[in-house]
Amino acid sequence: MDRRRLLVLAAIVAGIVLIAIAAVYWAEPAKSLPSFFPGHQAGSGHHHVKHGIASFLVGLACLVFAWFNTGQKKTPSAPA
Amino acid sequence: MPISYFQGALLGLLQGVSELFPVSSLGHSVILPRLVGWHIHQNDKFFITFLVATHLATAIVLLLFFRRDWWRILKGLGRSLRDRGIAPDDADARLGWLLVVGTIPAGILGLLLQDKLRAVFASALSAAIFLFLNGFLLYGAELLRRRAPQAEADDDVRIAQQVSWRAAFLVGAAQALALIPGFSRSGATMGGGLLVGLSHKDAARFAFLMATPIIGAAAVLKLPELAGPTGNGVRGPAAVGALCAAVTAYLAVRFLMRFFETNTLTPFAIYCAGAGAACALYFALA
Repeated sequence: MDRRRLLVLAAIVAGIVLIAIAAVYWAEPAKSLPSFFPGHQAGSGHHHVKHGIASFLVGLACLVFAWFNTGQKKTPSAPA
Repeated sequence: MPISYFQGALLGLLQGVSELFPVSSLGHSVILPRLVGWHIHQNDKFFITFLVATHLATAIVLLLFFRRDWWRILKGLGRSLRDRGIAPDDADARLGWLLVVGTIPAGILGLLLQDKLRAVFASALSAAIFLFLNGFLLYGAELLRRRAPQAEADDDVRIAQQVSWRAAFLVGAAQALALIPGFSRSGATMGGGLLVGLSHKDAARFAFLMATPIIGAAAVLKLPELAGPTGNGVRGPAAVGALCAAVTAYLAVRFLMRFFETNTLTPFAIYCAGAGAACALYFALA
């Protein structure tokens, strides 16, 4: 597997994982987040909506990167 | 009522101008109440709610002012997604993705750091000191700016050709400086634009285009606070403030797009350094 394909695969995996993490942030209060998540706080009912948005945006960016890099090679430049 | 209609109107007028002039709107909205003796602090919930309305108004004005550009940019983004790449001659698509690349770091840093930085740098004295430093930042950008040849006639084509992906990312990230009251978002992006070789006019255009989604998204995200219980007693002054901000923001963007055809950031640098130093002295001695 060449370097480009590996990068695309990593971007897809990272994108899906980050969007899943965003869903966890939106669905679960701070007390129920896994302890290794930034924002985990025992006893807190606060939802870290902003953390979720940040995670979602980066995830989306990863998927867009993968989308551009799996297109046909007739297009010479792509973002990032 | 925590904020009067008069205060709302005055702060709205100030917000509309200072959000787009490279002089820090947040800094001014921290400094002015302290100067005139109003009991309004930037971390007061009602004041944050008030700012949501004025920011939203500013973002709408920017969106309407550049509506034709945004429409072309959105179509360019759509084309590039469809074709899974950016055609070499598609300046709209490239500009659109440059704005996306710049907005992501600004958005993420804003989401994660806004509340923390507001809590740390809440005082009028610190805002005055940072306003002073903002003057040096603007002047430094003028001194260090690259003078690249401007071959293309079209504004967006020039920007798309001149700004690299890395530069767009760094300029976007520099907007995070504006989370500290006293530093200017448009100053950071215009300064960044100058450093990568844009003309003053193109740097201003790039800064305003980049500011629109960030200001708009930040306001929309906090809009429920305006509609909810924290908006009680603030909605009337906020509506007046938003209207005033819209008027001055429109005048400001019109003025600045003409101003930067022939002028530089230096007058704003002098103003920031002078006003920042005078206010810092006053607050320190008062």
